[in-house]
Amino acid sequence: MQIVVKNISKDYGKKKNAVHAIKDISLEVEHGEFLGIMGPSGAGKTTLLNMLSTNERPDHGQIIIDDIDITQLHDREQTKFRRNKMGFIYQSFELLDSLNVKENVILPLALSRSHKKLIEERFNYMMNLLNIEKLSQRNVDELSLGQRQIVAAARALINSPEILFADEPTGSLDSKSATILLNYMQLVNQREKTTIVMATHDAFTASYCQRVVFIKDGLIFSEVVNPGNRDKFFEQIINMQRTIGGGNYFNVSQDY
Amino acid sequence: MYRKIIKRSLYNMRDSYLIYILACAFAIGIYGTLVSMSTNPSIKRAIPTWRSYLGDISIMMSWVFAFCAVIYMVYVGGFFVKQQHHEFITFEKLGMQRWVVVMLSFFQTSVIQFFAWIIGLLGTVVFQKFLGMVLFYLMHLRFNFLMYISLADARHLLTVFLYSTIFFSGINAFKTMRILQKGGKRRAKKARWWLRIPAGLFGIVLLILAQVGSVQLIYDIDSIGYSPKPMAEILFILIADVFGTYLVYFGFLPTILNFLQKIRSVAYSGINIFSFKYLKERLFQNISTLWFVTELSAMALVLLTFCYYGYQQVYHNYNTIYPFELSADQNTVKTVRQELKKSKANIVGEYQTDVKISLASYYKESDKTVVHQPMTFMSHSDYLALPKRIQKWNPKVKSNEYLMIRYNSGSINDEPQKAYNIEVKNAPLIAKAKIGNSFPYGSTMHYGSIMIVPDKYYQSLPAEINDTLYGWKFKKGDRLNAKQIKHLEKRRGDYFLKVNYNSNLKNSSIEIIKKEPETYDHNVYTQIGFMRQGGFKKQFNQVGGFFLFIVSLFSVALLIALGSVLTLRILLRDDYQSRQLRTLQKIGVEETEIKGIVRKENTLTFLIPLIFALVQTISASLSFSLKLPKKLLLIYGGYVAMYCLFGVVSYQISWHGIKKKFSQ
Ligand SMILES: Nc1ncnc2c1ncn2[C@@H]1O[C@H](COP(=O)(O)OP(=O)(O)O)[C@@H](O)[C@H]1O
Ligand SMILES: [Mg+2]
Repeated sequence: MQIVVKNISKDYGKKKNAVHAIKDISLEVEHGEFLGIMGPSGAGKTTLLNMLSTNERPDHGQIIIDDIDITQLHDREQTKFRRNKMGFIYQSFELLDSLNVKENVILPLALSRSHKKLIEERFNYMMNLLNIEKLSQRNVDELSLGQRQIVAAARALINSPEILFADEPTGSLDSKSATILLNYMQLVNQREKTTIVMATHDAFTASYCQRVVFIKDGLIFSEVVNPGNRDKFFEQIINMQRTIGGGNYFNVSQDY
Repeated sequence: MYRKIIKRSLYNMRDSYLIYILACAFAIGIYGTLVSMSTNPSIKRAIPTWRSYLGDISIMMSWVFAFCAVIYMVYVGGFFVKQQHHEFITFEKLGMQRWVVVMLSFFQTSVIQFFAWIIGLLGTVVFQKFLGMVLFYLMHLRFNFLMYISLADARHLLTVFLYSTIFFSGINAFKTMRILQKGGKRRAKKARWWLRIPAGLFGIVLLILAQVGSVQLIYDIDSIGYSPKPMAEILFILIADVFGTYLVYFGFLPTILNFLQKIRSVAYSGINIFSFKYLKERLFQNISTLWFVTELSAMALVLLTFCYYGYQQVYHNYNTIYPFELSADQNTVKTVRQELKKSKANIVGEYQTDVKISLASYYKESDKTVVHQPMTFMSHSDYLALPKRIQKWNPKVKSNEYLMIRYNSGSINDEPQKAYNIEVKNAPLIAKAKIGNSFPYGSTMHYGSIMIVPDKYYQSLPAEINDTLYGWKFKKGDRLNAKQIKHLEKRRGDYFLKVNYNSNLKNSSIEIIKKEPETYDHNVYTQIGFMRQGGFKKQFNQVGGFFLFIVSLFSVALLIALGSVLTLRILLRDDYQSRQLRTLQKIGVEETEIKGIVRKENTLTFLIPLIFALVQTISASLSFSLKLPKKLLLIYGGYVAMYCLFGVVSYQISWHGIKKKFSQ
């Protein structure tokens, strides 16, 4: 097991108008697993991902990654842990406008003061893998949304993180770009044995995972495992969505 | 809805607006104080010269101050419009009519101006009392300062309030209009280093030329005296300095960061990959502000330096000319004593010294002629018996040395340290004498120079005229009333010396004339019998205090203006710039590192102008061969410290603002 989550909870706000974003969640993720987290808007997906990725601390419970209880680490150690082990794809890309594509992509390596040669090597490999070599000298504001998402993915993957977190990575993509990105994520998952935890409200996106956990109102509702056939899996996911709540429920995105 | 929009945008930039409002309120408060002080009755009562010219100066100063404040307010007020650039364009895109957006901007500025004025007018009330007391203290006045704002002044301030609010709001509305007309293109500034490097080099050449020019200027001032050439040179130096600095900034600031960024081993390590580009972008935006601040700070420092020297010079002159509050000679001492008894003056010190007057002749370097003049002689031990403060300004003399005290020629360059070969009638030649400027009984009581000689020389010196000089010190002045002074004034021209010069000193003589001669020959000299110097001292202290008051007021105001300009430039980041810092945090950059970037930005913004300003000031002072004494360095130090304080505060506010955005 790479990630073990034990009974975590998280509240926002003061006593009177407190929001129980996560009530009680326990979860296990294996090495090299591609896990989906689904749920309606406000279910607590982002909050869960933020806690797994050490961006926030749970109020109660433990999160153990590679046998280390990360909730017990100091901020500094957490940051180090995050830099070395994790990559992120945010729904809003979070690319730096001041830097061009290349600089954006190599940023995680530069931050950990890697050797120049290694940086160049990894960069070329990544660009090749994702087939975006010709973008490398462009500025961020010259890219389409789909291209930005892929560049963000390249940045997330360049330091070969052991774990990749993706929060609604296809949220702002058209279906074609979404397919491309999901294929790449699957590729990375298979080739590099990267553990991926992806939050989404979209059944099609979720169907690329090996297992999908459904959460609602801060609690785990159920889970579905990929039977090996994506069409079948997609149907199972749709059915589960219907069980949880109305059909349109999932298409509303409130995340920024 | 419009009210809501205005409220929200004021709220969003509240930190920056607060700084702007406080700076404006300070300016308004000072302006109001200067205006209302000029008619304040307690000042008029305490300072007789206030009616004649100090009051006018204070009104003039209020105009200068208002002028500077207007420039500041227009310039800085524009920052806010720029900041809302995107917002305004979005409003228009959303279908708001153009004039509505312009009106929004207009009313927003009006609200800010309104607050600034309310606080500023309240400030006037506080400042007037406080500054009035400071002024009285500096002018050595023991009066109670009463606060007073006349109806006319209040009306005047309210009128200025009304018109200035309309004026500034109008200007910002106009700026908004321009933004809407141009549309929302963010022009990415290109590096264009092929332009920047030559420009920067040219800037350095200009700065060097300015330095050379100021050396030439000193030389010309000393050698040709008054001519249009020095004026032209000063103009050249100013222009070369100002533009040279701009070109150096324009050429080198981004180029240095660019260069560092090109060195991969530096740029690719850690956060530098981002921070260089970020800082470069910020510097690009702020070059003209940095330049503006540099030149104004340099100007302020140079002004402070010259004021300091001016004050020192005047203070020195004053002390060398008026060592006693009252002085007299042997013919007038009796009358003066009588009057002092009548006035019940509290005498704390009385000095008297015998002097001999004889004829001397020597070569004067500054006139390049041999002069024959009466010279007063005083023995060394008598000189030492006088108050220490008189000897303080003169070089030290041993009992066997000679000291010649004469007028300071007032040249910037040092006077000669020694005089040589002074012939004295019927006495040995004085081969060498030190030169000083501080006259024992004040320069007015001696005609020409006075020579301090060894006691033996004095005893054997045959005198043409024997006299005794008297000097008094009082507690709380001599208390002579106008009538007594009028009576004494009649004795001012005590006697007259007529020099009859015949080819050599031995055959020449001094003749005493008791009555004022019909015609003044060039060889007739007046011996003044009575000198009341206390009045001068009082006036000197008052004018000096007033001068100090104005200079410090302006320097503080300038400091606040410049500091707040820099702080606001730092605080008012473009949206996408602060978003980037947030992004860094999200992708795993430590908070301390982001803090480091903010700190670097602050440090660069504050240190670059400060260092350049200091270098310019010090090199200007040095090329004027002015030594920098400890006191002046202390003044600079104070300036630097205040400035750094601004830097630290703006860093705190800036980081606070970013952190708030992080947790949103
Ligand atoms: N910073 C925050 N402060 C207060 N409430 C928050 C904050 N972040 C999230 N929440 C609340 O927590 C709940 C879960 O949010 P989130 O994890 O973002 O949901 P999801 O990503 O599934 O849409 C929501 O009700 C949301 O309003
Ligand atoms: Mg979310």
